[in-house]
Amino acid sequence: MALLSKLFSRPTKPRAVLIGLDGVPYTLLETLIAKGVTPNLGRLAAAGASHFQQMDATLPEISSVSWSSFMTGTNPARHGIYGFMDLKPGTYQMYFPSYPHLKAEPLWDTLGKRGKRSVVLNLPGTYPARPHEGVLVSGFVAIDLKKAVHPPSILPYLEKMGYRIDVDTSKAADADFLYRDLDETLAARERAFDHFWTSENWDLFVAIITGTDRLQHFQWHAVADASHPNHERAMAYYAKADAVVGRLLDRLGGDDLCLLMSDHGFCGIETEVLVNRHLVSGGFLKWEKDPPDSFADIHPEARAFALDPSRIYLHRRGRYPKGRVEEREVPALREELKAFFLGLEYQGRRFIKEVFFPEQIYEGPEFDKAPDLVLLTSDGFDLKGNPKKAEPFARTHFTGMHNRHDAFLLSNRPLPDKRPHIEDVHGLLLGWIG
Amino acid sequence: MANGNGKGFVLWFTGLSGSGKSTLSKMVEERLLERGVPVEVLDGDEVRTNLSKGLGFSKEDRDTNIRRIGYVANLLARNGVCAITAAISPYQEIRDEVRGRVEQRATFVETYLDCPMEKLLERDVKGLYKKALAGEIPHFTGVSDPYEPPAKPEVVVYTGGEPPEQSCARIVKTLEMLELVPPVPGDDYGADEEAAVAARLRDLGYLG
Ligand SMILES: Nc1ncnc2c1ncn2[C@@H]1O[C@H](COP(=O)(O)OP(=O)(O)OP(=O)(O)O)[C@@H](O)[C@H]1O
Ligand SMILES: [Mg+2]
Repeated sequence: MALLSKLFSRPTKPRAVLIGLDGVPYTLLETLIAKGVTPNLGRLAAAGASHFQQMDATLPEISSVSWSSFMTGTNPARHGIYGFMDLKPGTYQMYFPSYPHLKAEPLWDTLGKRGKRSVVLNLPGTYPARPHEGVLVSGFVAIDLKKAVHPPSILPYLEKMGYRIDVDTSKAADADFLYRDLDETLAARERAFDHFWTSENWDLFVAIITGTDRLQHFQWHAVADASHPNHERAMAYYAKADAVVGRLLDRLGGDDLCLLMSDHGFCGIETEVLVNRHLVSGGFLKWEKDPPDSFADIHPEARAFALDPSRIYLHRRGRYPKGRVEEREVPALREELKAFFLGLEYQGRRFIKEVFFPEQIYEGPEFDKAPDLVLLTSDGFDLKGNPKKAEPFARTHFTGMHNRHDAFLLSNRPLPDKRPHIEDVHGLLLGWIG
Repeated sequence: MANGNGKGFVLWFTGLSGSGKSTLSKMVEERLLERGVPVEVLDGDEVRTNLSKGLGFSKEDRDTNIRRIGYVANLLARNGVCAITAAISPYQEIRDEVRGRVEQRATFVETYLDCPMEKLLERDVKGLYKKALAGEIPHFTGVSDPYEPPAKPEVVVYTGGEPPEQSCARIVKTLEMLELVPPVPGDDYGADEEAAVAARLRDLGYLG
């Protein structure tokens, strides 16, 4: 009998599944589970703290940086992605770092070299798609589906079934539109998850739901406030996302590892903080034309400027066309800026929690591209790099913002006994699949 | 590792006088230096004043000149350098001969600078066409001496109908695609796509 079952059982291989719920905070998930909104996630979390943990994201705590750290297991000074936008070397011209700029090897390339196949669906920061052993459908900020898929042979299927890269965020300020769009996008997403789960012989399956992040950007007030008229609709979306997760969980084999995670936390916005405007008031930044059209309007006397959301760059000679900050001035200027930011107040309260120098948080060959300072705020204070706004604090239609400390990690197997960081997930998956 | 990929190569320009070989060799050189690729330019005019001093414009002397340029370019490429050559190099046979030697150890990127004669006459940067047409220069390529366009160049740029920046960008793009030079940030999205990306980021409250 033992021999027979050995002969007839399929040789099992250690597979891993990673489900991403973009931007879902640990603390919110605790609440959703407690209220029974997300029973499938609750099922896993019931195993306790060894399976469900609060996780730290990257600095800055934004999707492109965080997911790049996830996929490479490295920090920005190794993978090279410090933000959604950057300035081209030696210029004030903006560009949008993406997959081609990723300097470290993503997990699927490593696995591919070992003969393992990966299906990667809707992962931010992987556009334009490039080949790996398996399947890729790029996520945010993918524009053209044709350039967002590998192999190209999967394009007709995705087009035919009505796959959607993202909700239409240009109309998302309209709540009715947003909720409908979120549902439709999630449904299309699940069809794709479904299709590739069975049509591919994979070792790693990565499936990311990004609607959660979109919902929270536009509707955090409805998520957080149980008396808000849209609260039930918001809860219904989490329930649907949970059901999608549940159907994937049901298909897991006994030897599969399943990890669920978010790439950063989320919280409500008390005020937006226009960092460049504060730099102007502090005497660190000056524009040739104010408000500027772009960073190209910076004045040669400007000593520092900010890029979204929390990165401060010194206006160094040699690094920027009009830069005049000399290398010997850097140490004192950094300290001056640090003290300045730590002292900023909003309605009598300080809101910059920490100011990091790059050597405290980054390490690797891309270190020379790192910002000179990185700010971390208290929850509620949403930093903005927008140079044009005239006021130092502002409110807009956005009600939710990212935070670093409140991402989550959830597993169907016991996790290591330490607070996880998003860079650790890569190692857990690689270690499992081998 | 001499450049990002450690691969030396020969970027061989060929085209009539005034087609833009000197202009583009300098522009491409700059673009590559920015990316940390070591580059040497072997310009026909310069070579003829030293390496090939004393050679004339008979078929035999031209062949010798091109072989010498090819010899030096090959040495450079073998040592991880990008050698850009900017000589008319009118004969396919000699270009192929150089290619054969280079390809034993490195990559040969034949680049044809295609420019119609009427444009060249109009430009006449050095005033040579005027003289050649007046019969004052006996062996002038394209007028009184043959030019054989490459049969299978790796790149063709139409230097009569596009600005030098565009020709330069096309050449550099090809080198990227051949994985001979590392890509730089910023030129992966087209302008339309870049605008779409910016719009999506603004939708989420970034950029401003
Ligand atoms: N797309 C283009 N590429 C290169 N040069 C161009 C282009 N469009 C216009 N030009 C102009 O054409 C001229 C080319 O002259 P250049 O000296 O580079 O030619 P050449 O091929 O080196 O000639 P020669 O063989 O006589 O040395 C320059 O004045 C340049 O500005
Ligand atoms: Mg020349």
